[in-house]
Amino acid sequence: MGLIADRERDPDVSVVVIVYNDEARLRAAVRSVLDQTLRGVEVVIVDDCSTDGSYEVAQWLAAENPGRVRAFQLPENSGGCGEPRNVGIGHTRGRYVMFLDSDDVLERNACRNLLEAAERDGSDIVSGLCVRLHLDRRNQKRVEWYPWLYARTQVLDSVTELPDLFVWDTLSTNKMYRRGFLMENQLRFLKGMFYEDLMFIAEAYLAAERITLIPNQVYFWHVYEKAAAKSISNRRHEMTNFVHRMEIHRRIDALLAERGLTELKLAKDVKFLKHDLVLHLRDLPFRDDSYRQEFAGIARDYLTSLAPEAYDEVQSIQAVCAYLLRENDWDNLLPAVDTLTNRDKISAPLVERDGHVYWCAEHLDDPFGRHVLDVTDLGHHTRTVDRMFLRNTLTGYAERGGTAHGGTTRGGTGRGGTGRGGTGRGGTGRGGTVRLAGRIVNPLGVIPEGARLTGHLEFRARRRSLQSFRFPVAVLRHEGDSVSWEAEADLAGKLRPLGIVDEVWDVRLKLDVDGVRTTTRLTASEHDLAEGLLPVRPRLTRMVADHVEPVVSQRGHLAFRLVARDRVEDKERVRELVVRGIHGRPGKLAKSGFQRAKKLRKKLTSGETKIRVYGEVFSRLPVKKGLVVFESQLGKQYSDSPKAIYEEMLRQGLRFEAVWSYAGSPEGFPAEATLVRRWSLPYLRALAQAEFWIDNQSYPLKLTKRPETTYIQTWHGSALKRMGFDEAAWKLKSKARQQEQQRVLNRFDRFLIRSEHDVRTLAKAFRLQERTLLRVGYPRNDALVHAREREAAAGRRARGPLAAELGIPEDKQVLLYAPTFRKHGGRNQRFELPFDVERFAAELGDRYVLLVRAHYLNHVVLPPSVRGTVIDVSARHDVNPLMELSDALITDYSSVMFDYALLDRPLLFFAYDYEEYAHEGRGTYFDLLERAPGPVVRTEDELYGALDSLAEDDAKYQPERERFVAEFGEYDKGTAARSIVEQFFSHWSRS
Amino acid sequence: MSARTEHPQRDVFFVSNSVNELGGVTSWSHQMARLFTEQGHRVHVIGITEPAEPQDIGTDLPYPTTTLYDEHPPRVGPARGIKGRLNIAERRLRAARTAGMHEQAAKLTALFRRARPGAVVIVTQVWAMEWVTLADTAGLTVIGMSHESYAYTRASSRYGRVRRFYKDVDRMLALTREDADLWIRKGGMDNASYLPNPLPFMPEVPSPRTGKVVTSIGRLHDQKGIDMLLDTWAEVAPLHPDWTLRIYGSGEDEEMLKAQCTALGLDGSVEWMGRTGDVPGALRGGSVFVQSSRGEGFPLALMEAMAAAVPCAAFDCAPGVHEIVHDGEDGLLAGLGNTGELARKLDLLMSDKELRDKMGELARQNVQRYTTGEIVRRWEELFAFLDR
Repeated sequence: MGLIADRERDPDVSVVVIVYNDEARLRAAVRSVLDQTLRGVEVVIVDDCSTDGSYEVAQWLAAENPGRVRAFQLPENSGGCGEPRNVGIGHTRGRYVMFLDSDDVLERNACRNLLEAAERDGSDIVSGLCVRLHLDRRNQKRVEWYPWLYARTQVLDSVTELPDLFVWDTLSTNKMYRRGFLMENQLRFLKGMFYEDLMFIAEAYLAAERITLIPNQVYFWHVYEKAAAKSISNRRHEMTNFVHRMEIHRRIDALLAERGLTELKLAKDVKFLKHDLVLHLRDLPFRDDSYRQEFAGIARDYLTSLAPEAYDEVQSIQAVCAYLLRENDWDNLLPAVDTLTNRDKISAPLVERDGHVYWCAEHLDDPFGRHVLDVTDLGHHTRTVDRMFLRNTLTGYAERGGTAHGGTTRGGTGRGGTGRGGTGRGGTGRGGTVRLAGRIVNPLGVIPEGARLTGHLEFRARRRSLQSFRFPVAVLRHEGDSVSWEAEADLAGKLRPLGIVDEVWDVRLKLDVDGVRTTTRLTASEHDLAEGLLPVRPRLTRMVADHVEPVVSQRGHLAFRLVARDRVEDKERVRELVVRGIHGRPGKLAKSGFQRAKKLRKKLTSGETKIRVYGEVFSRLPVKKGLVVFESQLGKQYSDSPKAIYEEMLRQGLRFEAVWSYAGSPEGFPAEATLVRRWSLPYLRALAQAEFWIDNQSYPLKLTKRPETTYIQTWHGSALKRMGFDEAAWKLKSKARQQEQQRVLNRFDRFLIRSEHDVRTLAKAFRLQERTLLRVGYPRNDALVHAREREAAAGRRARGPLAAELGIPEDKQVLLYAPTFRKHGGRNQRFELPFDVERFAAELGDRYVLLVRAHYLNHVVLPPSVRGTVIDVSARHDVNPLMELSDALITDYSSVMFDYALLDRPLLFFAYDYEEYAHEGRGTYFDLLERAPGPVVRTEDELYGALDSLAEDDAKYQPERERFVAEFGEYDKGTAARSIVEQFFSHWSRS
Repeated sequence: MSARTEHPQRDVFFVSNSVNELGGVTSWSHQMARLFTEQGHRVHVIGITEPAEPQDIGTDLPYPTTTLYDEHPPRVGPARGIKGRLNIAERRLRAARTAGMHEQAAKLTALFRRARPGAVVIVTQVWAMEWVTLADTAGLTVIGMSHESYAYTRASSRYGRVRRFYKDVDRMLALTREDADLWIRKGGMDNASYLPNPLPFMPEVPSPRTGKVVTSIGRLHDQKGIDMLLDTWAEVAPLHPDWTLRIYGSGEDEEMLKAQCTALGLDGSVEWMGRTGDVPGALRGGSVFVQSSRGEGFPLALMEAMAAAVPCAAFDCAPGVHEIVHDGEDGLLAGLGNTGELARKLDLLMSDKELRDKMGELARQNVQRYTTGEIVRRWEELFAFLDR
């Protein structure tokens, strides 16, 4: 029949399992191969001359599974993974070969999936997803190894098609190799070197004529963090390790150079800066000077071989570190490494030169250094001190009565202290008080000389902190580039931990600069701490711990840990009991109770509960006559038509109760109104009791409007892009969801319309009833109409106080650049300007001032060099005064164009990505290119050209603007706010 | 079939919700059952229960069929919370259902026991898998199938059940590689692979593509997105007053859709054709085929239209769609739900006879990669591979 696989014939796959002193786990590894869904597999065990019973286990497995398992042993220990694997390859019989380490396992379907792909595509290598399982963590954390490479099946005819594979996935174990391919190319592992995988896999990738990547999990890499014998990757601080790494890199580079693969080399250089170097750099603060020098000697040599372009492809701090290491500038490098470890920290004083911000003042005469050290893009110069995380270096640490410690030995307290430490050490400060001194960096003089400085140290438990302790900072001295400080903390007297639950205490220094607070951590990695113990009195029990010792966290920050000193053995025992209790039944009960309480609290403060409170409690309260709730842009601004209506109501002296909703900070909102945070209980209560809702976007979708409340939806702009049910996303919703959406829209009692275009687009897209439409124009645009009238009457344009506030000189024209929202902002929704602002400043700065207003969900960073010429006005709530101030508008597709046209001033359309916007997105209602009432430019050069001839072209576009206004703003007559107040509030009493 | 003797002859069981419920899965299983019978395999088609809406499958089937239940098994959801656990009536029902399931699974076990070594069980729908799981399948190869796109399953209650009941089958089959990749990465199904559906028929006579008619064939149901087709047509019709949109199919949404058509002022250019038994004829009458579905698996309608040499314009709603239609070569695709874009694509095909001819001919040629011979060969390969 031939149905049952012929056991006598060669297996499809041979799995080489290597083992060294791992008798306990070998069986599971082999089992994972024998239990494969593919039956045609064999196991070749190679024991690297273990001293435990590994080889006996292997032989036993072979005897138990004749024909499927074979066991071999090296005559002497080889000290690495390479040689056993090489020997294993020699014994394989299958058409395909895999490697498995004795402490790991294969996924059940791994061989079947890899084989299917190999045969289907005729591949030399098939690779699948490797998953790291942290078995000794209670939650068994799983980390996928470069999952983006394995998002889908990919077939490559050469590894050059996917450089990321070459540089990132350097494991040999999550792969299946055609045995013939290994033999023909004589692919073997290096002997006696770490990182043997790196070299083997590089050669294999380069030799392979076809590689398939499959998304399946194939290999489970078991990680034991607390294991006594640390594996190679855990011992990366060892110098030999680094030497080996560099040697392998050199050899791989030679392979690439031989083949002329410059693109792969560049990708590899980038990875080196991003990854390999960073791993070693992060250890430097914890090492002594001789180590650092030796390290630098080896690294510097290699760094000079990197392509300079690689520096542009990595984060600026990574490039800065590599450069400073290359230049052997340790004074600047160590702080930079602090930022490498603590991503958002500002660790250098920074300098501003020629309108750019540099990491340090040195090396700026070297053009490459100047390029790498330019960190303007980080935007530190735009930040206030409370938004900065400043480096604070510990310069002094002493116990009172003792001497300041400057010892040379550091022992086990470094690196997060995996050892329990503390036992049998002397030097206990009798008084239990520590004296601390340090220096806080002052970047770009953000802390001004003469500023009022106060501060305190805060001690807070790392986990489940229920209490914190403060100690005043006695001395604070401004020293230009830095602020130095001194403080004393009476830990014995004042620090009262609970014990057991709060083992580690973090220290922060909170500094107030003229009343503005910034928080720092104490960097102690480069300073030698006293290795003494300080007595403390835990509140719960002293059975477990009675002292604290200083430790340095992995991030280099000072912390204190509770330890036992007296009668240590007893305490160990008690501790063990306590730990057993925590992990045992009582602990579980307590924990589940705690978690249940947490869940309950979460539930009580959840949106769902709030909605219920809104519906079942607040909505039963009486509606308050004269209560109006205003909101603009989901509470992000005090602006737009709701603001215009509100101000008109104030102007007319109406007596009403105004509530404004804000999201984030209430700053900028009218002080005389009641301010409520969006989604807070007072907000929900106000909405439930309001007589009027006035908003330009939407109140929370799930809130039902009471029939007694009138909702005036002002909307926030005419539409170019398809909206509502004209958008694909809305059409695709199920019928039930569409009905739900319609209910939300049907809350609108009135919807403001500024032209019949709105009726054809917005009103139709929201499926609004004709009777809700209010054809009065936009209240926010009243001011624009008035400005135009004033200008026509006076014959000249008057600039308001805003010009002076922004420091705009009389003789310069003002351009407003207001692009629409763009999604691809990356982190923090950073918006990359589509033109070079420095070029703008250079070419047009003598005639123009450019105001940049990013969409309220995006933000921009401008270099200091354009100060005064290009101004970021994104943070201003209201765009109206900016429009009135500006002499021309540059936009792309923002609805601001419809409003600005009312001013009858030049409009310029910088539509650099129109096709993408109009077609690939959700589509537009009309073709902007045909109807734009101003020049449409597609490139930066065209933009400058158009700005040059702005005045001359203006007359030409005047009639088109006229038409544009007639079509899109026919109801904007400057009376919108007034007529709304008349229609809805005229019967209210006035004061 | 020439391949008849090259493969070992096997017992092949198809297990579906019903032997004859209305829908694509039924058509597919009986098509495959016939093809496997022709290959010399011993086929048995099994349904769990009687269908709500039956489909005519003919009477001269060359293989036996079996339906397990005489009446539909009791419907009951899982117990939720304390209230659910205390509901005695529900508990009884649930117990009765479980007991019934074991009883029916025993019937399956008896059928499976009679099979020769190398037998294969193909479970076409995950609901049916709940019974197969309870049956003894030792020595048999079990294949679980998902006949819709990953995304469509993801949005339904089937998602959790596929992950649960297909977890340990020998192979879980999606329709395209893209769907299989998603099942693997996002669904955690490391046993997933894929096999496309075969072309149901190859019409002798292709469409002449002369009639100014755009054809749509599909149930009048939310899934087929006829509402979006009407929105699309409202943008195209004014540009082509001499063209007609023929909508074949019937269903629950008929009234609503006709009202929408009238409201859009399209009554003059849309013909409601009702359900048709003559798909090739309907296709021959048109020059362009349009599909506006919200979700699909491996849509037969597109394959049929292509086989009839009618170029398609469709929403790219599933991997199966861009697997069948090569956008810009033998048909045109638009972003899902983007009616403006679909309208532009229709406009392109309607305005350009040459383009229609080029794409239509190429479509007829390209769709041959899904002929029955090719698909059967891939199944035989799979059976052999799973034996290794």
